[in-house]
Amino acid sequence: MNAATPLQSDTVLLPERIGELTGLAEFGLAGELLATFIAAFIVGNLMLAMTGVAGPWAKRKITAAFTDRIAVNHLGPGGILIIVADSVRLLSKENIIPENADRPAYDLAPIVIAGSALLGFAVIPMGNGVHLADPEVGLVYVFAVAGIASIGLMMAGYASGNKYSMLGGLRAVAQNIAYEIPLVVTGMSVVLFAGSLRMSEIVAAQSEPLITIAGVAIPAWYALVNPFAFVLFLIANFAEVGRNPFDMPEAPAELIAGYQTEYSSVYFVLVYLGEFLHIFLGGAIITTIFLGGPAGPVLPEIVWFIIKIWAVFLLTQWLRSAIPRVRIDQLIEIGWKGLLVLSFANLFLTAAIVGVIQ
Amino acid sequence: MSTGIEQTPADGETLTEDELEALIGDRAIARDDHMNAPGFVVNPDEVQSVLSDLKERAGYDHLSSVTAQEYEDRYESIYHLKKYADASDEVSVVVPTASDDPVSESAEPVFRTADWHEREAYDLVGIEYADHPDLRRILLPETWQGHPLSKGYDQEKPQVVTLSEHANPLESDHRESGGESDTMFLNIGPHHPATHGVLHVETVLDGETVVDVEPDIGYLHRCEEQMCQQGTYRHQIMPYPDRWDYVSSGLLNEWSYARAIEDLADIEVPEYAQVIRTMGAELCRIASHMLALGTFALDVYGEFTAIFQYTFRDREVVQDILEDLTGQRMMFNYFRVGGVAWDLPEPREEFFEKTRDFLDELPAKVAEYNDMVTSNEIFQTRCIDTGVLEPEVAKDYGCTGPVARGSGVDYDLRRDDPYGYYENLDWDVVTRDGCDNYARVLTRMEEVEESAKIIQQCLDLLEDWPEDDREVQANVPRTLKPDADAETYRAVEAAKGELGIYIRSDGTDKPGRFKIRSPCFSNLQALGEMAEGEYIPDLVASLGSLDIVLGEVDR
Amino acid sequence: MIGLLKSMATTMKHALDGSTFTVEYPKTAPDVSPRFRGVHKWSQERCIWCRQCENVCPNDTIQIVMDDQRNGEQYNLHIGQCVYCRLCEEVCPTDAILLTQNFEFTADTKHDFVYNKEQLKSVPWYKDIDPLESREPDRGAWIGEGEGEVDYQ
Repeated sequence: MNAATPLQSDTVLLPERIGELTGLAEFGLAGELLATFIAAFIVGNLMLAMTGVAGPWAKRKITAAFTDRIAVNHLGPGGILIIVADSVRLLSKENIIPENADRPAYDLAPIVIAGSALLGFAVIPMGNGVHLADPEVGLVYVFAVAGIASIGLMMAGYASGNKYSMLGGLRAVAQNIAYEIPLVVTGMSVVLFAGSLRMSEIVAAQSEPLITIAGVAIPAWYALVNPFAFVLFLIANFAEVGRNPFDMPEAPAELIAGYQTEYSSVYFVLVYLGEFLHIFLGGAIITTIFLGGPAGPVLPEIVWFIIKIWAVFLLTQWLRSAIPRVRIDQLIEIGWKGLLVLSFANLFLTAAIVGVIQ
Repeated sequence: MSTGIEQTPADGETLTEDELEALIGDRAIARDDHMNAPGFVVNPDEVQSVLSDLKERAGYDHLSSVTAQEYEDRYESIYHLKKYADASDEVSVVVPTASDDPVSESAEPVFRTADWHEREAYDLVGIEYADHPDLRRILLPETWQGHPLSKGYDQEKPQVVTLSEHANPLESDHRESGGESDTMFLNIGPHHPATHGVLHVETVLDGETVVDVEPDIGYLHRCEEQMCQQGTYRHQIMPYPDRWDYVSSGLLNEWSYARAIEDLADIEVPEYAQVIRTMGAELCRIASHMLALGTFALDVYGEFTAIFQYTFRDREVVQDILEDLTGQRMMFNYFRVGGVAWDLPEPREEFFEKTRDFLDELPAKVAEYNDMVTSNEIFQTRCIDTGVLEPEVAKDYGCTGPVARGSGVDYDLRRDDPYGYYENLDWDVVTRDGCDNYARVLTRMEEVEESAKIIQQCLDLLEDWPEDDREVQANVPRTLKPDADAETYRAVEAAKGELGIYIRSDGTDKPGRFKIRSPCFSNLQALGEMAEGEYIPDLVASLGSLDIVLGEVDR
Repeated sequence: MIGLLKSMATTMKHALDGSTFTVEYPKTAPDVSPRFRGVHKWSQERCIWCRQCENVCPNDTIQIVMDDQRNGEQYNLHIGQCVYCRLCEEVCPTDAILLTQNFEFTADTKHDFVYNKEQLKSVPWYKDIDPLESREPDRGAWIGEGEGEVDYQ
């Protein structure tokens, strides 16, 4: 369909490869299905493991570094075993469900929040063949499932039967609507370059050298080709996943903990992990469409992929330590009056430039 | 009879005592002079006319405190008036009311700040104020029986206030609207991360806009006034002031009591002790302002941000110095009646070096705060023009300290009503005209630098002080018994503003009435003016910029 | 925008220099100043049962019981109620009661914080700091010390 050639070696997706390796492929549709489940299980667990490291340990350590403290250091080397201790602690706590909770919605919300992020990873090429599916509309799909999270936040907000949660849920919706559009529009400017919505093709399009300096080829990552779009996308993404300075739905000083105020124990873990999953998913999208996907020298591709999404995570924590939260009206204003206009300007300019070059 | 004297209020001209007498005229039924100010006894139904004359025609525009007390034969409300232009020019208006029917006219129409002060008087002593817009209990629960500071109150009788007896604010989702408006009632606190303690703010929201704010205080009421009334002047009261404003402004608080009792018992404090006091107090002010900046950043930034930790780290250095000096990190109990407990710690050189090191590093730290906080554009958009407190409103509410100075009210007791060693030192009062949250933050940060200047000069003085003249305490008798019925109201500039103490002696070694004028109490009243019509985040920021400590609000 | 970048640069500078200001308590015992006031230590040998400490105490933390010949029987101190004002030490003519630097004490119930004579005697010094050295009490006139070292046990 397009002139850009997909990477021949990587067109084999993870489920197919597992099917071949285990022989499940011979059992027809059922075998393929099982192989897909196994592959999804592996990728899902990889992501959950990363959030598991990020939530109880890495976040503390990073924050401590910014604030001149030591943070967890008693359990295991560098306190890494706090992950185990925290899991035991959180899972063994009583799950308190408020009297006024709207039951099915209250129970479903954490699953929706965490699940929507996990779904997004299905189309992300992580290198070394770890790639679950590669539909033609990959980029649209990933924006769509990431958007489901706002439904989860809204559900958590109203179903908790708490006014602070309600305000948090409403803020989440207002914020997501305001920033989803600039996010997608900026993402589209990348599609104009790549000429495809397929994730693997977007990655492949970034592998060509942009310029060569002293024998080192700088690849045509879209962050370098169009840094303006990259910055816009970063900002919109922080707002989309609700990180500082746009952490309005939680806003601890104002709304206590926003939509997650009433969640405890396992539900809290899900909500909390869901948040981290969304940061990582945001990082994965940025990596894929702006940072050349899993490509990188020397190290295996999957390692590069993980380094890149952790870099985005680190950036969120850095902003958290240094930048005040904007007010809700200012946030909406920035979204509608600033980012939306800029992102459309970016789209038209990119379209014009791409049109001229071709 | 006519008052005889035509006086314009704005020119700042000071009326002599005779002129004041003429101004009040027949309305004064007697004189009841206090040690700090002339006192005029007026009838309960002429409070408003006398106060408004004093305010409009004599320039007494600062109602710093209202003290209520019960004598054997009568109740008494005392209005302590001052001038923002000249804090040492004071006058007291004494309003006696009958024991069987203690009703007095409210001063609220003249001074907004009288609202809460009179509610407190009603709550604790039992005087009722006619014309008061909202005469409810303020510190004690609404179902409390009796008035604890009145004579007939049974101190032994336990009172159980159950939750069910409380008005449940959750029930009334729509206040004053009959359920027709689309506003939402929201309880902010008493367990809310941004209330700096146990403050309960009853808020009515229209969307996210704050329509009505009503702070509900008293959760941390510990009967501090009564505890002080049960302690002896000489030793037993001094440990308590540390516990009013308990976030490291202990020495400033202690000074308020020390100043009042030294005035009452006519004790001369050795100059050397005054220098140490001045230095210690300013160290406390730095620690307190650091915390104020850190917690304000917490309110605006959210979560445990770097700036909060940095201010804490720097405050920690001050606390170490204070620990070396006083022996405790927060509950100092370092001042004594007539001086301080100890001379500087030996070896003195080490102490000087440590303190000087801190002062040397301070400018770099303040520059770092400026880099991080005040020059940050998002911080500026959050703080500039939010929580606006006009100077006239601030005066009406009796605001003092950095809150008033951030609104351009040039009022600082260290300069206006000098005590300690301040008048011999070279420093400036910081004022800013912004009237907003940003101005208050900047005021505090500049005050930190001014305090550093004061400490620097104190250190120089202490270093060169002749060794044979280092007297840290005056010779004060073991038992202090000031003359019966001696009354005084004395205030110092604490970290949060004017911290005043009213003491009436009844001839024993314990105070007959001990009243604390807390700056936070008055400042917090202005929250409604600052927050109404703004968003919740601005309400939270305004509350943070007021820098209240609930221990001092509730006492 | 410059301001934002300056904020971010400041925090990153702190992150990279690796210095910390917190202490790994309880692994490292923090230093306290010589004047620091912690749990009381009492010496029966020095106490003359004058009851001045009981009188000066602002909140009835010290309770002394004596028989009818004014011989001391009990000396109880509620360290959970104490405000650590040091007035008892200041008023004591014989340095029988001292506030050590020891700030670590635990109990299961608040009643366990009522220390009797024996418990007060066995309160340990913190890091072997003798508080008397830094507090320069001037009360030698009351009781002759001799030249030897003071034994608080």
